[in-house]
Amino acid sequence: MKNTFFKYSFLASFIVLLLVGNKNFAQDKIKEEEFNLSKYKTIYKFNSLKQTDNSRLLEVSLVVQNKKNRKDKIPVFKADIDFYNVLGDEEILLGSAQTSEEGIAKYSVPATQQYLVDEDGYINLIARFNGTEELKGKDEDIAVKDLNLELTLTEIDSVKTVIVKAFTIDSLGIKTPIEEADLIVSVKGMLSNMPVEEGTIEEGLFEYEFPNDIPGDDDGDLTVVVSIEDNDDFGNIIQEKSVNWGIHNVTPLKKAKNTLWSDSAPLWMYIVLTILLVGVWANYIYTIFNLFKIKNEGQKLEVTTEE
Amino acid sequence: MKDKKPTKNTTDRRNFLKLGLASTVTAVAGSSLVSCLASDEEGSAAHSHEQEKMRLLTPEGKIVEVDAKNINGYPEALITPKESRSGIPNRKFVMVIDLARCKNARKCVEGCQKAHKLDYNEEFMKVQLLQDNPDGSPYWFPKPCFHCDEPPCVTVCPTGATFKREDNIVLVDNDRCIGCKFCVTSCPYSARQFNWGHKAKFEDKSEPYSPETSVPAAEGTVMKCDFCPDMLREGKLPHCATSCPMGVIYFGDKNEDIVTNGEETVRFSTLIEERGGYRHLEHLGTKPNVYYLPAVNRQFPLERGFNVDEDIIERYKDVPYVQKLKKEGKI
Amino acid sequence: MNLDKRKRELVKEFSPTLEHYSLKTKLWIGSLVAIILVGVYAFFVQLINGHIVTGMRDNVVWGIYIINFIFFVGISYSGAFISGILHFFKTPWKNSVSRIVELITVLSLLIGPIFILLCIGRLDRLHYIFLYPRIQSPITWDIIAIMTDLVGCFIYLYLTFIPDFAILRDNDDIKVSQWKKKLYRFLAMNYQDTKSQRERLHKITRTMSVMVIVLALVAYTVLAWIFSLTLQPGWNSTIFAPYFIVAGLYSGVGVIIIAMYATRKFFHLERHIRKVHFVAAGIVLLVLSLLFGYFTFSEYFARWFSHKSTDGQLLHTLFSGYFWEFIFANYIGVLIPIFILFFKKFRTIKSITFAAVIAVLGLWLNRFLIVVPTLETPYLPIQDTREAFVHYSATWVEYALSFAGIAAFCLLFTLLIKLVPIIPMSGIIDYEREQNKRKKLKGKNKNK
Repeated sequence: MKNTFFKYSFLASFIVLLLVGNKNFAQDKIKEEEFNLSKYKTIYKFNSLKQTDNSRLLEVSLVVQNKKNRKDKIPVFKADIDFYNVLGDEEILLGSAQTSEEGIAKYSVPATQQYLVDEDGYINLIARFNGTEELKGKDEDIAVKDLNLELTLTEIDSVKTVIVKAFTIDSLGIKTPIEEADLIVSVKGMLSNMPVEEGTIEEGLFEYEFPNDIPGDDDGDLTVVVSIEDNDDFGNIIQEKSVNWGIHNVTPLKKAKNTLWSDSAPLWMYIVLTILLVGVWANYIYTIFNLFKIKNEGQKLEVTTEE
Repeated sequence: MKDKKPTKNTTDRRNFLKLGLASTVTAVAGSSLVSCLASDEEGSAAHSHEQEKMRLLTPEGKIVEVDAKNINGYPEALITPKESRSGIPNRKFVMVIDLARCKNARKCVEGCQKAHKLDYNEEFMKVQLLQDNPDGSPYWFPKPCFHCDEPPCVTVCPTGATFKREDNIVLVDNDRCIGCKFCVTSCPYSARQFNWGHKAKFEDKSEPYSPETSVPAAEGTVMKCDFCPDMLREGKLPHCATSCPMGVIYFGDKNEDIVTNGEETVRFSTLIEERGGYRHLEHLGTKPNVYYLPAVNRQFPLERGFNVDEDIIERYKDVPYVQKLKKEGKI
Repeated sequence: MNLDKRKRELVKEFSPTLEHYSLKTKLWIGSLVAIILVGVYAFFVQLINGHIVTGMRDNVVWGIYIINFIFFVGISYSGAFISGILHFFKTPWKNSVSRIVELITVLSLLIGPIFILLCIGRLDRLHYIFLYPRIQSPITWDIIAIMTDLVGCFIYLYLTFIPDFAILRDNDDIKVSQWKKKLYRFLAMNYQDTKSQRERLHKITRTMSVMVIVLALVAYTVLAWIFSLTLQPGWNSTIFAPYFIVAGLYSGVGVIIIAMYATRKFFHLERHIRKVHFVAAGIVLLVLSLLFGYFTFSEYFARWFSHKSTDGQLLHTLFSGYFWEFIFANYIGVLIPIFILFFKKFRTIKSITFAAVIAVLGLWLNRFLIVVPTLETPYLPIQDTREAFVHYSATWVEYALSFAGIAAFCLLFTLLIKLVPIIPMSGIIDYEREQNKRKKLKGKNKNK
């Protein structure tokens, strides 16, 4: 008796265990790769870009990448990133942002912000991700010198010239031209910017003769973009200005009117068609008209014969 | 008595084992059946929900799935069929395809299929293997619709369902097309396709229809490459250009004379002039808006392109070069 | 000539066909209806499942439906052309065949466009052609032409029916149902066969006959332009329009001869449709087959001689995949009729009909060879592994609907000649009146 009881309870629990275990097993089958954070490493990138209105865009990209499969990247969503300007022990919180669905957090520091500058003239910026239990915190710092780019577009002796002046302003308001920096002059296009010249600013000045054959848009306007990229001292800076230097010599396709492929057909088609159709259907109407005359005549005859 | 006990025990054990085995088998079978049904439901539910999902990681280390926002801004950015007849103002779109770089990666085909919800064999962008003559060199030839300036397809449409816009793009309005297939027969580049039967994806109402997205397609109507005007309005390149890993496809505006493949941005006129750009079958007089850069100084040998599925290689069986390779046993 | 007596005699002669349905007729109609029902079923299969049930796929998007459309419409236009010519030039023996020709004209113009409708992907949007027409499109021209021609041929056919309806209406001996008698009365338009009425009727019939000749020419030209105004190899030919007209005439005369043979045999009209009619039609067929052979030869010879690469590929497709069809359509279909009809010895009624059958079959294959091989050899090679997308092979749906179309044509023909006699009675009377007038004139001159 005891044996059977034992047997059956053991059996019952065995079955239950199997079912439960199977369910888990099945669930594991559905989500084959159970997410394991330890298999991923964090990739944290911090960049700054000084924009055309002198505000500074701070951008952080936070994604995790599979250590074994480099193509398996998952962005981190809604992570809080704090941006600080540091000098020694002092930290000013510039602002915070959350990462987007692409894992990018952006914060635009207005141009009026007073930065703490160290003795070499660098602004030290830190972007900090305060981690959680599962995801370790990270921070990265960059040091940039605040560079002012002045872009002038003038015609000197009817030659289109691009003049770029680059200088730093110290706390006393004195402008110091920079020694050397590589820059790229490009023209803004609909989908991307087209570089026209790569040059170097020397002694804070760069002059460039703008080509004469760039079309620009329909009114001849184009936007000249001057950018310094990934400079050790200055980071990324862009400056742009619009000017009516486009020559728009690309003759626009005349709006195709009255062609085979336009909405309105060539005029002669309308004329020929009308003539043909009017001719034919006029004949039909004439025929039917005569038919009714026959009918009427017959009717009159019937009436008279009846009489 | 002593003898009987061990035998009774053995029979008991045997019975127990038998019973245990039987119940195990039933349990496993039963629960796997149940879980199978459960997963089927999940599976079908997942399929009926057409919206794509993105995998994201929360700071707490959890994976969440979020509805992927439409990168073309739809449905807010909807352009109705009536509005789609006038193009993006002051643009003349043009495409340049660099045959020297194409290695038949077919990412353009797949990117386009994904964006336009096409099936495996429906290809707006086709990659053909052309060999102009038996001694000539074969080359991979990506072929979208050429959006000709004098399109024979637009001329023959009896209802005006296909039309040429001011920005060079030729579109098809699925709401107007009556399915006479005259445009399919009159296109000399075989760029158009017809929806022959009923498919479930035609019922997908998650996105409103626009000729600029060509989604959803309609049964009994014609469809073709549309140069992705929905992406252009967002300032993004068409899907084929962004998908190409080699930067083969340049796209841009002829008016501002700039084309880009996502990495390089160059002047259209310079590119054509320096690289000898030409249009395919120019003598037919259709004035296409897709230019090709000849396959000289190739980046990859042609054979790299045979690294694809068997049935795709079978397509090219009539090309003399492929026949030669088959004879030599290299394929 | 006592007019009333003559009319009575004629009615007596032709009334049996109008009055009752023999067993043979019933079986014939029954089998035709069965074929049509299969076709209706196939139509619904296509309507519900879409065009995927046909053999058409992305390269050969036009198949048997378009071929049947061109074929039937060609017969119709050729009928219009021939009946117009017969009437306008007052050919003496035209009377026996004129109604057959006119019936064929109208009926094939009804059946032909049905095939085009089968080829349209979205029948629920057909009215868009009338709401948003584009007159640069050859299809718009074709629709206008077909509609105009249909109205014209109907009017023309009806005009020839009127005097016969009048005779049938006035005759009391005829034993037909009441509704038929009412119909005769209504459709006869109070025609009393007075001199002025007769003259007026003849005048408008004459103008309509010229009109249908012109319509036939213009309309079939427009249909040829659907093909020849495209860029495709094999279609982009300058002589397509005259080629189509000649080919249409060829097939039309063939069908007319077959119809003459069938009605003659079935209704025992040996007295009216005589050998002279067959010989005349046979000579016309001979001339047309020579012309057709000439045009076909010009087309293919020039392509073969100058061997442009796309033309070369097209010829390769024709001679490899479609070799036997090509031989039948362009050699057998031309040479056998020429051979039979050329020699006076061979011209018997049966042999002429046989030549006509060969001509019609050959011409259908010729239409097939115009439409399908061009679509199978486009400028950019078809690089596809799916067999259905590389070669066209029609499915049962298409064949069923083709046979249903032919059956519908025969059925309508049979039903209409149960309404009106197949030989126009008024035509016989007019002919005899002319003969009497001539005799009287001769007699007068003799006396002088």
